[in-house]
Amino acid sequence: MGSFRYIFRDTLRLITRHWGLSILTLLTTVTVLFLLGLSSLFALNLRHMVSRVEGELVVQAYLKGGSDATALAKRIRSVSYVRDVRVISPEEALDRLRAKLGNQARAVTLLGENPLPWGLEIQVEKASFVSMLVRDLVALPSVEEVVYSGQLADKLSRISVLATRVSAVIMLLGAVISSLVIFNTIRIALYSRSEEIRVMLLVGATRTYIAFPFVLQGLFLGTIGAAVANGVLAAGYAYAVNVLKLTLPFVVLLRNTPFLIKFHLILLGTGMTLGWMCSWFAVSRFISGANRPE
Amino acid sequence: MEIRLAGITKVFSPEIVALEDIFLTVEKGEFVYLIGTTGSGKTTLLRLITREIVPTRGQISVGNRNLRKIRSSELPYYRRNLGVVFQDFKLLNDLTVFENVAFVIEAMGVPPRIVQTRVNEVIDLVGLWRRRFLKPMQLSGGERQRVAIARAMANSPSIFLADEPTGNLDLHTSEEIIRLLLSINAAGTTVVVATHDQYLVDAYRQRVVELHDGRLKRDEKRGRYVIDGEL
Repeated sequence: MGSFRYIFRDTLRLITRHWGLSILTLLTTVTVLFLLGLSSLFALNLRHMVSRVEGELVVQAYLKGGSDATALAKRIRSVSYVRDVRVISPEEALDRLRAKLGNQARAVTLLGENPLPWGLEIQVEKASFVSMLVRDLVALPSVEEVVYSGQLADKLSRISVLATRVSAVIMLLGAVISSLVIFNTIRIALYSRSEEIRVMLLVGATRTYIAFPFVLQGLFLGTIGAAVANGVLAAGYAYAVNVLKLTLPFVVLLRNTPFLIKFHLILLGTGMTLGWMCSWFAVSRFISGANRPE
Repeated sequence: MEIRLAGITKVFSPEIVALEDIFLTVEKGEFVYLIGTTGSGKTTLLRLITREIVPTRGQISVGNRNLRKIRSSELPYYRRNLGVVFQDFKLLNDLTVFENVAFVIEAMGVPPRIVQTRVNEVIDLVGLWRRRFLKPMQLSGGERQRVAIARAMANSPSIFLADEPTGNLDLHTSEEIIRLLLSINAAGTTVVVATHDQYLVDAYRQRVVELHDGRLKRDEKRGRYVIDGEL
C-alpha cells in the first residue's frame, strides 16, 4: 500500500517539479496526436466520399411482361451486398420520361397505351459488386434487360480500393510517426532524470518502483494531449463542415455524430496507449541498460 | 555479512587491468580501510561489491550469495543489504535532505509512519536535523557528505561501503565522519572505506588493505597509511 502511495506521489513530483519538460512533452503529444487525427479524418472522409458516390450507382433491371416485380425485389433485397431495391411501376417510369422530355413531353401521348415495363432500381454497397449483380440479374428468366454504367462502376471500384489503401497507409504512417515522436520525446525527458534512476537502482529500488511513476506520467500526458488534440480537431472539423457547406456544397464531409464520437474516443485511447507504451518502452530500455553490469 | 573475493581480476577494454588476482576476505563486523594511489583499483573493488560491474575472472560472494550468479530481478534485494556512500555523493538535487534519505526506504515499501521515524533518527544522528528541509545545493560539502552517510545508513545495512567519504573535507569534519563510521561499525555493520586520508587511517587504526596497480600489496591488522611513492 505504501509503495502505491509513493508511486503516485513520485508521479506528481515528476510532472510538477519538471514542469518545463512536462509541458514540452505535452505540446509534442498534442501536436502529434492532432496531426494523426487530422490525417485519419482526411482518410476517413476520402473513404466516405468514394462510398457515397458508390452508393449512388444504380443498376436498372427491366422485367418481362407478367413478372412479379415486388416478389423479385424482395428476393434481391435479401442479397448481402444490395443496399436498396426500388420497384418502378410503368406509370412512374412514364412520369420520369415526361419529366426528362420537358417541352417534348406531349410526344409521349403518341405512344397511346403505356409501353414501359416494370422495372427495378438496385443500389449496391460497393461498386465492385455491380458486375456480380448484373451477371445474376441477366440469368434471371423474368429479367428482360439490365442497364448500368459498366465503365463507371469499374472505375469507381478501382478508386474505392485505392482510397481504402491510401487511407490505411495514411493512418498507419500517422500512428508509426506519432509513436516514434512521442517515444523519443519521453526518452529525452528520461535522460534528464538518468542520474536519479541510476541512484535508485544502486540503493535497491525495483524496476517496477522506478518505472511506474514514469509510465503513469506518460499515461497522464498522453491522455491530456489526446484530449486537447480532440478538442482542437472537433472545433476545427465543425468549422470546416460549415464552411464547405456554404462554399463547396457538393463536398459532403462525414457528419455521422455517433461515428465521430467513436473516432474521438479512439483518438483518446490512442493517446493514452501511446503515452503509456512509449514511456514503458523508454524507461524499461533505460533501466535495462543502466542495470547491465560492465 | 562476510565479503569474499577469490582470484578476482577485472579488465576493462581495451586491456586496462583494474584489478588482478585479488584474494580478500572481510569478516562480518570488520572495519577495513582500502588504501592506494589513484587508479590502484579501490573504486573498482567497491563497484564489484555493489555489483555495478562483474569480474572478468574469479568469484565474489557476499554472505552466501555468489554475485556472478545473482539475477537482475534479485539485484535490488541484494543491494538493500548495502549502504553506499559514493565519491560524488550522488544526491538528488531537487529533493530535500529528508526526501533524499527517505526514498531509499520508501523504495522498499516501508509504511510512511516508519519512514518518518527512521529518517528523522538518522538525520539527527548525522547532525543535520536543522537542515532537513534544505536541498543539497544549499549545503556545504561536509553536510552533503553527511546526507550521503545518512542515506546509506537509513535501511540499516549489513555492509557499509564508503568511497573517499572524507575527500575535500576539513580535518574536523573528516574526524566527525570517521567517528560516525566507527559508530556504525560498533553496531555490528561491516564497514569498508576507500580513502586517501593518511591522518585518519593513522589516527583511527583499523585493518588496512593496500592496492597497488590493481594488485593486493599489503593487508595488515591495525595498519598504518604507508604507500610507495606517497611517503
